[in-house]
Amino acid sequence: MLEQEQALLSQVTSAFPVKGKVMRNRRVEVWAESTTVSSILMYVKNQMGYQHLNHITCIDRIEDTKFQLVYTVFSHQTKMTLFVKTFIDRNAPVMDNIDHIWDQANTYERELREMYGIQFPGLVGAQEFILEDWDEMPPMRRDFKTEEYSEKTFSSLPGRENTQDVRETISTRSGEEIPDFAKKYSRD
Amino acid sequence: METKKDSQTIAEYIKNWSRKHSLFVMAYGTGCGAIEIPATMTSRYDAERLGIRGAATPRQADVLLITGYLATKTLKRVIRVYEQMQDPKYVIAFGSCTINGGMYYDSYNTINVLEKYIPVDVYINGCMPRPEAVIAGFKQLQDKIARGDADNGTRYKENLDWYRANQQQVIKNWRMPDYNW
Ligand code: SF4
Repeated sequence: MLEQEQALLSQVTSAFPVKGKVMRNRRVEVWAESTTVSSILMYVKNQMGYQHLNHITCIDRIEDTKFQLVYTVFSHQTKMTLFVKTFIDRNAPVMDNIDHIWDQANTYERELREMYGIQFPGLVGAQEFILEDWDEMPPMRRDFKTEEYSEKTFSSLPGRENTQDVRETISTRSGEEIPDFAKKYSRD
Repeated sequence: METKKDSQTIAEYIKNWSRKHSLFVMAYGTGCGAIEIPATMTSRYDAERLGIRGAATPRQADVLLITGYLATKTLKRVIRVYEQMQDPKYVIAFGSCTINGGMYYDSYNTINVLEKYIPVDVYINGCMPRPEAVIAGFKQLQDKIARGDADNGTRYKENLDWYRANQQQVIKNWRMPDYNW
């Protein structure tokens, strides 16, 4: 059972000082220091055939004042996915730029820079990625109050305050009974 | 129809009658709603039998469809498109998102009330409105044109200051052309 996965895990853990585990069939994760991530990725790409960078994800661990970064790489030979995970400091978020390993990493990193404010030294590309004229806190951080911001900037019309069931409004307005089969989906 | 005929001059009546039967729709979609346009235009619902058809550029179009939520970035393009359209011009807004935010009411990047930025002739509610509802909306617009009170292009020009103030509140870096109409 899962020999292939164990072999991948031990190959990575023997080459680098990382912890890791087999998550399930064809899924392996390793936890690394943020400084070793780029060499791990370089190694698995060039030596082990993990040619394909699926994604770079950021998770805002605001309770621990950390950002978690997840690099997902895939091998077309073994059809296995390797997750390389790391933590960086949330207050001074800096991470190694890896767009010399995969060109498409540039796009992901620009997005992370815009949405979370993570800096990648040496990253080339327009400062604005998706947003235009954004001058607030990076919007995907969990302490950005999106509802407050929306109310302040775009101010909606009245009528959104309560969660009254729209069927009730319709039935009072038109004088119709809510049928029994629909009542069981009612909110209260 | 007869009563409306009485309140208009013959020339106006003919003008409105022909306008309402040739609505050229700007081929531009925002949000989720643009996906209902192909269904409305193609063989099953065949909107062209009502004189509704696509136009490639703003200057050829009469109707601008705002088919769903608008990011502030898209709003900029929409304003430019709207300002380039020739009078008479009409706006149909689709879905709850354009009315009062819809399910994107708390998004940091989508506007809530479209009417603050450009004048809207007809709202079609729903999330998403089906082609029947879209055609009903167009029908409502046609009635409005026939009555002769679809003059939002003029209203926009008259109240330009108010609209500009609202637009500049969300588009921070304002680099838009000025028109001399
Ligand atoms: S109203 Fe619904 S379908 Fe339309 S843009 Fe908003 S979320 Fe999408």
